[in-house]
Order: sequence, then structure tokens, then C-alpha cells
Amino acid sequence: MRPLMNHILPIAFLLGLLAGCAKQPPASEPEALEEYRQTNDPLEPTNRVFYAINDKLDTYILRPVAVGYRKVVPERVRTGVHNVLQNLATPIRLADDMAQGRPRRAGDTTMRFLINTTVGVVGIFDFAKNWGYPAHDSDAGMAFALWGIPAGPFLFLPVLGPSSPRDAAGFGTDIVLDPFTWLGQGAATTAFGWSRYVTSAVDERSRHIDDVDSIKKTALDPYATFRSLYRQHRESQIRNAAEDHRATVPVWFAQPAR
Amino acid sequence: MRTRRIFLILSGFAALAALMPSSVWAQAGQDANFIKDVGDRLVGIVNGSGTEAEKRPHLQQVVDSSVDVDGIARFCLGRFWRDATPEQQQQYVQLFHEVLLNNIMGHLGEYRGVRFTINHSERRGEGEVVNTTVTRPGQAPADVNWVVANVNGSPRIVDVIAEGTSLRLTQRSDYASYLARNGNNVQALISAMRRQVQQQQTG
Repeated sequence: MRPLMNHILPIAFLLGLLAGCAKQPPASEPEALEEYRQTNDPLEPTNRVFYAINDKLDTYILRPVAVGYRKVVPERVRTGVHNVLQNLATPIRLADDMAQGRPRRAGDTTMRFLINTTVGVVGIFDFAKNWGYPAHDSDAGMAFALWGIPAGPFLFLPVLGPSSPRDAAGFGTDIVLDPFTWLGQGAATTAFGWSRYVTSAVDERSRHIDDVDSIKKTALDPYATFRSLYRQHRESQIRNAAEDHRATVPVWFAQPAR
Repeated sequence: MRTRRIFLILSGFAALAALMPSSVWAQAGQDANFIKDVGDRLVGIVNGSGTEAEKRPHLQQVVDSSVDVDGIARFCLGRFWRDATPEQQQQYVQLFHEVLLNNIMGHLGEYRGVRFTINHSERRGEGEVVNTTVTRPGQAPADVNWVVANVNGSPRIVDVIAEGTSLRLTQRSDYASYLARNGNNVQALISAMRRQVQQQQTG
């Protein structure tokens, strides 16, 4: 994961310097002004440039690779690969669950790691899911949100895609939290880091081929549609974490109703 | 006698109070049943035999009888609905119907083998939200909420919220952004939708 730190984050920080600004409607048009505030995308012109670049990269590199991956690799193997990648991310997820103040989620994550790493053979099989420890989304951006930090304006980052200052900071935090970032040195570690990153990207992309295709085909303004979808999805992830009020009660106590 | 009468009145109130929540509950159950019925019909069409062209009229019938398409269309145009002339409103709603049906038709193939289960339903804001899990082969189960509201006396789907993303909110921001980039001109949106429908028809 070290290459990620070295290459992508500086580019992300450069964003602020390159930013062009969207024109704010005058106060004489209150509805347009309200819409501008709700959209909260003052960097829209810059964001659209990066969206266009990402879209080209996706069309000519990532999507074809993902389509090939889905065609060549059997579904069972792809599920296994996905599970292994998810399992490798459990240490970060555990830290994020704890930062969110969600002990039951942290417990789920711990049990998932213990079960899937052993019975599930280094995470290839997700047994924990059927044993009462389902997967959930968790990252540092969600923790920041639960601490009351607002998302801030919309950002479209090169390579990484839709984000916000809060979520970009969360992304960087997760890299720092990841034990693999700090594990060892040398060619083998670098190769592992890169192959994990590339596999994750292909895995993730191959799971959304149909969705993304259909959005690009049906949306009049795909950029705005992705922006809206990203925001809504993020809000629902955060809401799900916030509403997870399961209590942590020792098994020998009377269990409260869920 | 007097205490007896008071007791009767009181017990009458108690019975009423006991009935109230159950009638609310019956309403919730009705909306879940409505979604079950609509879902079963959709699954039947998607998984049934027949070509896409044969399925289209059946699908249209289900959509027209269960979805508040006119209301969703108005919602998606937002503040521009008032700016539009009556003819533009009419053209827009008609195109919206076609675009919606085309979009559903476009997904028909991927949804082959689809199944759904109804989990629970709850009252939220303007309507009843019926929570379902939609499962299709080779895909992770999706959490889908159906928002059902009473439109002119009958239940109608007014929004679908898939994995936390509302279909009509997403559509509205798409149109709003298109309008913003085309001089807030409703006619430009109508032309774009017309081109879209033509493209979808030719392939």
C-alpha cells in the first residue's frame, strides 16, 4: 500500500491548487441559489475535468479489464478473490468500527476475521456471514461523519473517483491505519501492495459493470447522476452505522430486545 | 348504574384505543401486500417466457397500474415544472413514461432469475416504506425500499430506494444538472429526452 501513499495522495492534495470555481447564482434567484447550495459542488468545472479523464481511463483500461476478468474467471473464484481482499481489510475496518463507537460492529468484524481466516482458509470463504456475523461497510470517513464532521463540497478525484474532503481524509487515514502499509520493505512488499491495489480495483469494477453501463446510457448528465448516487449512498452507509444501536451485553446477562 | 355506564363508556374508549393501532397496522399490511402483488407480477414477467417485445405491454400495464409515474415526473422536474408551458408539461410527462419503461426494459435481461422477499414496512414521511431484499443470480442481495403513498384513493409506488439511493432524487438531480447546463430551458430537456427515446428504440 506504500505506493498508494507516495503517488496518489500528493495528486489529491494538488486538487485544491488547480480548482476552478462554479458560478454562484445571484441572490435575486433564491431557488437557483438554494439548488446551488444543495448541490454543494463549487469545484464543478475542475471536478468535471477529472471526471472526463477518469471516464476515459475507465472506458479504455479498467472496464475492458473488468469485463475480461468477469468473462474468464469463474464466479466462484471471483467471489473467493473478493472475500480474501475483504478479509485483508478487516484490521482497518476494526479500527474504524471502534472509532465510530460501534462495539457490536467491531465484534462482528473481529469474529469475521477469526472465522474466515481459519475455517474460511485465509478468507477465501465467508462462513462468518451465515454464522451471524454479516459484513458491513466501515471506513474512517464514516467515523469522521459520526463525530459530526460535515462532508464538505463534492470532489471528483483523479483515479479514485467521487469523494469529499471528509472522505478523502478518511481514505488517507485508512491507508495510514492499514498494517500492510507499515509491514516490511523491499520488492516483495511493494509487489504485494500493488497487486492488492490492482486486484481490488478490478474486483470492485467487475461488480459494477452493468450498473455503470446503464447509468452512462440512461443519464442525460452522468457526472451529476454519479454525484447524486455517491452522496446518497454515503449518507445511507453513515445512517446505517449511526442507527446500529445493538447493545453490548455479556452473554450471562438478560439480553435486551434488539 | 351510573358507575356501570361510566365503565361501559371507558371500556368503549379502551376498545377504540386498542383498535386504533391495529387499523394502522392493517394499513401497513395492505401496503406490504400491494408490493408483494406488484413484485410477484413483475417477477412473473421478467422470469416468464416470451420475447422482450411481447413482455413490454405486460410490463407497461403493471407500471401504469402500480406506479405514480405522473407524480414522479413532476417531482423530477422540480422547480422547472412551473416554468414549463402546459404543452411542455404534457410532452414531458409523456416522454417520461416512455423513458421509464425503456429503462426498465433495458434491465430485463440482467434480472432474469430474480427473487424478492418482503422484510418489514414502516410509516415514514409521506408514505409507507416497504423493505424488501432483491436477489438475483451471481449478485449480492440488494436492500430495496418501496415507498407507497395514497394517490387519489389507491396505493401507488412513488419512489424506489435501492441500497440507500432514491431513484427519483437521482433522476431529479440528473435533469436539474442538464437544465443548468442548457440555460434552464425545459424545451432543451424535452428534446434530449426525445433523442434518448429514439436512440433506445433503434437499438
